[in-house]
Amino acid sequence: MAASELARKGPKLVKPILSIDHGEARRRVLNLYKTWYRQIPYIVLDFDIPKNIEQCRAKLREEFRKNAHVKDVRVIDMLVIKGQMELKETVHGWKTKGHVMTFFKDTQEPKPEGFLAKFISGTN
Amino acid sequence: MASTLTRAVFTKPNLNQVAVPLGNVLVRKQQTAPPPTKEKYGPLADEDRIFTNLYGRHDWRLKGAVKRGDWYKTKEIIDKGADFIINEVKNSGLRGRGGAGFPSGMKWSFMNKPSDGRPKYLVVNADEGEPGTCKDREIMRHDPHKLVEGCLIAGRAMGARAAYIYIRGEFYNEASNMQVAIAEAYQAGLIGKNACGSGYDFDVFMHRGAGAYICGEETALIESLEGKQGKPRLKPPFPADVGLFGCPTTVTNVETVAVSPTILRRGGKWFAGLGRPRNSGTKLFNISGHVNTPCTVEEEMSIPLRELIERHAGGVRGGWDNLLAIIPGGSSTPLIPKEVCDNAIMDFDGLLACQTSLGTAAIIVMDKSTDIVKAISRLIMFYKHESCGQCTPCREGINWMYKITERFVTGNAQPAEIDMLWELSKQIEGHTICALGDGAAWPVQGLIRHFRPELEARMKKFHESNPQRRAAAN
Amino acid sequence: MLRVPLSKALPNAVKAVCSPKRGSTTLAKAPEKIEVFIDDKSVMVEPGTTVLQAAAMVGVEIPRFCYHERLAVAGNCRMCLVEVEKSPKPVAACAMPVMKGWRIKTNSDMTKKAREGVMEFLLVNHPLDCPICDQGGECDLQDQSMAFGSDRSRFTDIQFSGKRAVEDKDVGPLIKTVMTRCIHCTRCIRFASEVAGIDDLGTTGRGSDMQIGTYVEKFFLSELSGNVIDLCPVGALTSKPYAFTARPWETRKTESVDVLDAVGSNIIVSTRTGEVMRILPRLNEEVNEEWLSDKARFSYDGLKRQRLITPMLKGPEGELLPVEWEDALSFASKAIRDAGSEIGVIAGGQADAEALIALKDLINKLGSELVCTERAFPDDGAGTDLRSSYLLNSKITGIEEADVVLLIGTNPRFEAPLVNSRIRKAWVHNELEVGLIGPCVNLTYSFDHLGEDPNVIEEVLSGKHPFAKKLLNAKKPLIILGSQQLERNDGVAILSKVQQMAKHLSSKIGSEWKVLNILQQVASQVAALDLGYKAGVESLKECPPKVLFLLGADECAITRDDLPQSTTVIYLGSHGDNGASMADIVLPAAAYTEKQATYVNTEGRAQQTLVAVTPPGMAREDWKIIRAISEVVGKKLPYDTLNEIRGRLEQVSPNLTRYGEAEEANFYDQAVELSKEACNKLDCEPLEVKYKDLEDYYMTDPISRASTTMAKCVQAVRKQKESKYYDSGTA
Repeated sequence: MAASELARKGPKLVKPILSIDHGEARRRVLNLYKTWYRQIPYIVLDFDIPKNIEQCRAKLREEFRKNAHVKDVRVIDMLVIKGQMELKETVHGWKTKGHVMTFFKDTQEPKPEGFLAKFISGTN
Repeated sequence: MASTLTRAVFTKPNLNQVAVPLGNVLVRKQQTAPPPTKEKYGPLADEDRIFTNLYGRHDWRLKGAVKRGDWYKTKEIIDKGADFIINEVKNSGLRGRGGAGFPSGMKWSFMNKPSDGRPKYLVVNADEGEPGTCKDREIMRHDPHKLVEGCLIAGRAMGARAAYIYIRGEFYNEASNMQVAIAEAYQAGLIGKNACGSGYDFDVFMHRGAGAYICGEETALIESLEGKQGKPRLKPPFPADVGLFGCPTTVTNVETVAVSPTILRRGGKWFAGLGRPRNSGTKLFNISGHVNTPCTVEEEMSIPLRELIERHAGGVRGGWDNLLAIIPGGSSTPLIPKEVCDNAIMDFDGLLACQTSLGTAAIIVMDKSTDIVKAISRLIMFYKHESCGQCTPCREGINWMYKITERFVTGNAQPAEIDMLWELSKQIEGHTICALGDGAAWPVQGLIRHFRPELEARMKKFHESNPQRRAAAN
Repeated sequence: MLRVPLSKALPNAVKAVCSPKRGSTTLAKAPEKIEVFIDDKSVMVEPGTTVLQAAAMVGVEIPRFCYHERLAVAGNCRMCLVEVEKSPKPVAACAMPVMKGWRIKTNSDMTKKAREGVMEFLLVNHPLDCPICDQGGECDLQDQSMAFGSDRSRFTDIQFSGKRAVEDKDVGPLIKTVMTRCIHCTRCIRFASEVAGIDDLGTTGRGSDMQIGTYVEKFFLSELSGNVIDLCPVGALTSKPYAFTARPWETRKTESVDVLDAVGSNIIVSTRTGEVMRILPRLNEEVNEEWLSDKARFSYDGLKRQRLITPMLKGPEGELLPVEWEDALSFASKAIRDAGSEIGVIAGGQADAEALIALKDLINKLGSELVCTERAFPDDGAGTDLRSSYLLNSKITGIEEADVVLLIGTNPRFEAPLVNSRIRKAWVHNELEVGLIGPCVNLTYSFDHLGEDPNVIEEVLSGKHPFAKKLLNAKKPLIILGSQQLERNDGVAILSKVQQMAKHLSSKIGSEWKVLNILQQVASQVAALDLGYKAGVESLKECPPKVLFLLGADECAITRDDLPQSTTVIYLGSHGDNGASMADIVLPAAAYTEKQATYVNTEGRAQQTLVAVTPPGMAREDWKIIRAISEVVGKKLPYDTLNEIRGRLEQVSPNLTRYGEAEEANFYDQAVELSKEACNKLDCEPLEVKYKDLEDYYMTDPISRASTTMAKCVQAVRKQKESKYYDSGTA
């Protein structure tokens, strides 16, 4: 009983990264989302990627949705920090076109499964 | 005689020892040792001469030899057996005449052990290649029967099946006389089956070399006899264990073998009575160079050097005071300057005390007209040419020493290089398979020991006259 | 200059004296050990041990150049000089036997000075051209001058007279010489005359003019010549094909096994950027010691030429067209499905055990038993059921102990050079007597030639022949039968006679000593027979299948003419050789440097190769191709990984996965009994061997046939034969 209590109390004792509670974390997420959302037209223009704004916004939504299940405030904060880093790298032009396109991963093929597929691809 | 190379147990001259008060030291030594029987050595009385036809004035063939007493009662000597012969040679104090001066009786006794089925061989080293040495050729061309008889007796002492006389290729006349003498001895039944009627079978073969100094080294000589390149073998195993054709072998100098019949006939005591203790007997001295009458002479051991030269060689050209230096024992022994020569005693111990060695007793006299540096440089060139090339210090080191000494002749070097040359010679000495490396190192050491000021003066002169040329070691 | 070991000329008594290291096993009682001190550490050694060996026992390494433990002692480099207390001069550690109570100082001032002096002398005339020298990085002179040399130079004389320069020698297409670098250690000479048995190398000149060479312009041609490259402590002898291609520190070394003959020499494959740069021997006392035959060492350039890099199908006009794996696999499986159980396999000389078992399993699943090897073996009697009938039972090391060897219908010098070097080793050191029935070839040692007629075997067996007496009197006789003779029509008779002879001899000795030995010629044969392959292609010739698999079979055991037009030939192998040219479907496989695979040598020793480089292009490992076909055909083999297929190997024949060990064979007597029943008469046709001359040796398999280096060797031998210095008796 004591153990589970400790487990319950545990996270509360941990030092926060940025946000104190869920509300603050949510605000930060939304902030990040909005900033990306506003930057997308410029990104499309600057990098001359073969995607239009709609596709990019859909990808943005998809990337955020990927982490929708995360409840831990600290994890959310960390993801937000990472997202900000990505954003900064993109907006400042530290990324190249190829880097931006990795969000879409169009050229990546699925790894072969099974002996025969592996044999033909030469990966086993 | 390249047999200086057989220097197997040569003890290095003690360099710290000062070579000045020689006479006194020696006298004192003798007082502590058993009282000397004699005070004065030499000149040798005619009746004590062993080589009675040294100058070829008489018949060298069997008839003449028998007339001079060779082959006299050889059968009786043989019949007395190996132990008698070895004992008598031991008593005589005979030391090897090839350069190393190893006691012959002891050497022969190494062979006198039960046979393991292999035949034993006596090999006579007649490859007299050492510059300055010309004693064995006199024996072989004028007294060959002494050698043949000696082979038989020494062979008997060792139980040898046969003797091989390895004769230097350049000695054409000597080889033909030897061959004639061997044939005569065979015909007279003195050697061969049932030699001298003693029931002992003994063959003597002669083999002519092709003119390599290194083939005078005992193991190289054996290799050469076997038909291989004359390159010294590693020791151990010593020839007494594994020698010619893999059989026990003793290699001895011509003179050592040739004196043995006379020793046995006249008794070891007689021989021991000549010369100082441990240096007994008579010896053939070759005196060459700047003397009035160069010669080969048989003299008593321990005769003073000066007396030897003045009595037999007519003195140094221009008088004793015109003497610069002497190489007392063939080219591989260190030279000694006049001050040392004044009191030098011509025997093993006497010359050892002078930081040189008796070697083959080939005395090369150089007067003040000699360019001593050039002379030594020429000797090193000889060793460079004759090095077999098998082991590193000798092959590379002597070549290097030659290059340096050649520059020393003109003085185109730095004084520091004298010490370097000394070190190089030390790097060669004692680090090689055979003694050729030592033989090349010693003349250089003798030069540096006694003529360093001369070398430095030359360098100074060279640099003064060639200011534009920068010397080597800068 | 070289000393032929005295033991050949001397009675046994001397041998112990002059070569304490060897032959001393025959001494009746073990001599008492003596105590010596190395740097004040006490060590007990047997009398006759050299200073160097005694030092090695306490882990003190004495520097050396000329000394090599497998060659006679020369003692000429003088690098190993050490101080012995109370001795006025240093002694050569490599040659000097220790005496009781000696105190040896390997690190004293005198020792250090001696080493420094020798090092200086060695460098006086050494060109110091390390930056352009191929030995750089693995040079004894470099290493030891760092460790023991002086830290400054005194070579002022090079400003006046320069260094010695020596003309380079042309000794053939394998060895590059830069004779100026030579330090005259004479290792190469000693190797040539002692191990290789070719007295072509020697010294000429003396003093500083001494040179190593062949005296007259002549190639140094021997099947073991490459080993002098490893022996040379400096860069005087380097590998010609490897010249200027790589530095030792750049290469990745993979331990592997050679498969170009049946010895299974252990090798190290040096690779860089996915390319085999060179092959070096790896020490294995039981197989190749530290030698390697030239074919194994130098034919690696054949791994880069004539390679099959893509699957191919026969096009409408009979030409092979490159296709994708999918197409190749579907075509192959269609042919196989159509054939039903009418399918056969011929396994070639370099097939690995994994591929062999996979293919056999597949064929068996399809309902056929026609799995054959290229090399035949008599089927009557015990056939290949008893391992003793096809192995070198006494092992390669056993040869060293033998006192009489009878070679029947074999030329080990070119069939298995390292077996031959062992025979020569025993001949040199142990007074071995050799008899030969078969063509009179040069084996590099003397032997009694008993004739070429197979009936001589009968004579020896019946004791009529004079050599029979020698065999009967021998304590450890050996009979080595060349596998080629078993391919004859009277192969079973020969085998039977030899087995009877062996049984007769071993029953006389009564110990565990194995007399019967079969010398195989190809690397795959033992594994194939262990796995139950049928030896020989007779059964395939009798009823040609509809689909014929060639697993690297390039020896033309079956030609296209033996097969009906309708037969589909599937070739699976690494090189475009004879097999591929008659195939309808070509599947590119890996060569031995490109796969982890099991090979069993002629002793029955299982060893594995490791992956040094990846297979080129679309080539795949052999067993995986078979596994893929099986899946497409619908008879999926139950293994996906190497471990799984090795599990299967172990199931069939457990010895195949005990790497490094040679599994003993037994049932000798039963084999004799069985073959006696099948025994028929010997033919009168004389015994013949395939490789008689050095020329025949170099190009014997797809890899060496693709190698330009090997082609140059053949050319060199032919050129040598035209030379006026050529002596057919010694070459």
